[in-house]
Amino acid sequence: MKAVKGKYYFGGVHPHDMKNIAKDAALEVLPDAEAVAISTSQSLGKPALPVVEVGAEVKAGQVIAKADGLISSDVFASISGTVTEIKEVVGANGAEKYIFIKANGKNETSFLPPLSDPSAEEIKDRIKDAGIVGLGGAGFPTAVKVAPKTPVEALIVNGAECEPYLTCDYRLMLEKAEEIAKGARYIAKALGVTKIIIGIEANKPDCIAEFEKFDDIQPVILKKQYPMGGEKQLIYVTTGRKVGIGKLPADVGVVVQNVATCYAVYEAVENGKPLYERVLTVSGKAVSQPKNLWVKVGTPVKAIVDYCGGESVTPKKVVQGGPMTGVAIASYDEYTHKTTSGILLMSAEEAAADEPTPCLNCGKCADVCPMHLMPMNTAFYASAGDFDAAAKYGQTAACIECGACEYICPAKRPLIQAIRKTKAALRNKK
Amino acid sequence: MDNSIVISTPPHVKSKRTTRGIMIDVAIALLPCAIAGCVFFGWRALIVILTGVLSCVATEFVYYFIANKGFSNKCRDAKQVCVRWLKQFDFTSVVTGLILALILPSSTKWYMVLIGGIFSIAVVKMFFGGTGKNLVNPAAAGRVFMFLSFSIVTSCAIASQFGPIVDSSVVISGATNLGGLLPSKSDPVSNLALLDLFLGTGVAGCIGETCKLAILVGYIYLAVRKVIKWYQPLLFIAVFGLVAWLMGGFFYDKYTLDINLFLPNILSGGVLFGAVFMFTDYVTSPKGTYGQLVYYVAGAILLAVLRYLTKIEVASFVILLMNLFVPLIDKYVIGRPFGYKKVKKQKEDK
Repeated sequence: MKAVKGKYYFGGVHPHDMKNIAKDAALEVLPDAEAVAISTSQSLGKPALPVVEVGAEVKAGQVIAKADGLISSDVFASISGTVTEIKEVVGANGAEKYIFIKANGKNETSFLPPLSDPSAEEIKDRIKDAGIVGLGGAGFPTAVKVAPKTPVEALIVNGAECEPYLTCDYRLMLEKAEEIAKGARYIAKALGVTKIIIGIEANKPDCIAEFEKFDDIQPVILKKQYPMGGEKQLIYVTTGRKVGIGKLPADVGVVVQNVATCYAVYEAVENGKPLYERVLTVSGKAVSQPKNLWVKVGTPVKAIVDYCGGESVTPKKVVQGGPMTGVAIASYDEYTHKTTSGILLMSAEEAAADEPTPCLNCGKCADVCPMHLMPMNTAFYASAGDFDAAAKYGQTAACIECGACEYICPAKRPLIQAIRKTKAALRNKK
Repeated sequence: MDNSIVISTPPHVKSKRTTRGIMIDVAIALLPCAIAGCVFFGWRALIVILTGVLSCVATEFVYYFIANKGFSNKCRDAKQVCVRWLKQFDFTSVVTGLILALILPSSTKWYMVLIGGIFSIAVVKMFFGGTGKNLVNPAAAGRVFMFLSFSIVTSCAIASQFGPIVDSSVVISGATNLGGLLPSKSDPVSNLALLDLFLGTGVAGCIGETCKLAILVGYIYLAVRKVIKWYQPLLFIAVFGLVAWLMGGFFYDKYTLDINLFLPNILSGGVLFGAVFMFTDYVTSPKGTYGQLVYYVAGAILLAVLRYLTKIEVASFVILLMNLFVPLIDKYVIGRPFGYKKVKKQKEDK
């Protein structure tokens, strides 16, 4: 279908997208690491419960931890090998239980049976069994998303990839458009909708052209604006509907899925492959060869960096995920998750490390907030320890933590830190 | 990987804009006014401007040096203290000094400017906590302080380097030409040479306030650089012009509204300068967009009414007055989050 132009929303910032660094690197498969460590916290909600014991032989794709509760997902072995250790490790995301697997070199796989022409129920079950979570970053279990409580009218596929540096979704859309379309159709079938919209930012015209080929998918050209891929923003610019605070997209009749998630659904349905591998971007000016890679979940960051030729200069910051929302890691001694969309080695010229100066009350943070909040108030009251006032005058509850406010702040104030502190203080109070 | 690695909360990229950059932008935007002032008022204006800027910067430095503990230590390694001061110097005092000088008449004595600059920075800004913490606009407070202390309002010079372009122009002595004072019953319009008012030629006034063309250039620069929101000064001017015009029409000319009297109100006095450079001050204006709208409209109405009642230029007073309302506006005028829906209050069944 011919692409149409999306709406504009008030707010947002325009960081330099830096996608040129890794844009032209075609997807490659990273060779299996000798040992992986797979976290049991791969999605929102409770961590999964390990179902294997130390010493057990596992095959790639075998369930090693079972979902605990509704909002949780199964975790799979990503290489065939022996479970060497199950222990808690404190990493960049806090303390998580990791299952360590040492490769045995057999490369055995254990897939689910492929489905042909599945029914809606079969697709839903398969999404659950394959442990698919939202691969855009939040890691919300897809099985919950495809079973909404209210009827939906449309599926929106998120191809915005508004984070600077990241190009893995771009490569995926360029190389696997057919598969993404198939995956999207399966999800649409599971939801019982026929309308599929894909939103792609205007800086990826080649991807838009790819998706114009399909008759049943409506591409929408999105303005280059961060955060365009935020769920609520994406729904607004593509359909004009506003998702209320504390409401789900299904409440306004839409469901949003990332392109990588659509691809994972395609793999799970047609090939029976559970989610234990994903695309990620290795980029930044401090990495020798920027690449877009297929990486097994649990691969050590060191193995990935080494495969990309190591550091070209000493990085100032190493980020897991995108530069706007990702987590800065202190060492290469970290392991990838289902939700890791990038490894960025940022040189001193790229990474922001300015000392904060006094707040000027310029209000730029409020101007760029895509949720129209008042981050400066949150920071002001949070610094005084008054978290109730911080939440009230900063309207913190609706914050999506996109980081636009801190990006624009001329005084370089740590706004996101204040917002997270406020949110945590309020959570603890409840 | 060595220990030089930095960890922090996201975002890991930030805009290149800094406080210092913004303040330099404001200083650049003020330059046309300063140059026009020097051209119109000669070397006296230059002295006022230089004294204003230097006294503000020097006051900030001295305060930085003597404030807090360890004065004797600071004296010992004064060089390091200077380097540290330069590192954190954000040009706010340069802007304050420039604005303060530009809203003074060129006949102001240099020691008056010096005292005004010290008052602006030390009392109004640094005593309240420095950059970003001052309650009221330092330049406006300094000007009011000088106005009350030295009666500078009576000693205003005419732009002597240039004669009026339109020869029928009347020159009114006083701090500034006020539109409200100008209309005479017989022939209000021909007495007003709009072009002279706009260019500031042959008009009495403060150094930076007379040449409206220079202010316009500064406004365009600020708007293009996105230091200020382009619509804010326009909103202020429009509301002010409308109210002043209506009041002038009703009270001078017995219920006749002459459209020709709309522009003189705006082009006279310090309205334009205040709207572009002083009302838009970040620190002392509301934070949210809606609060800012309230602030500009209320300020414009207040200025128009007070100017009509007092017949003197009260822009600085109005700015101070509005500054004091800002915490209140910030507290009660807050925007609603994206997707906010008003919750209907349900009456509890008894």
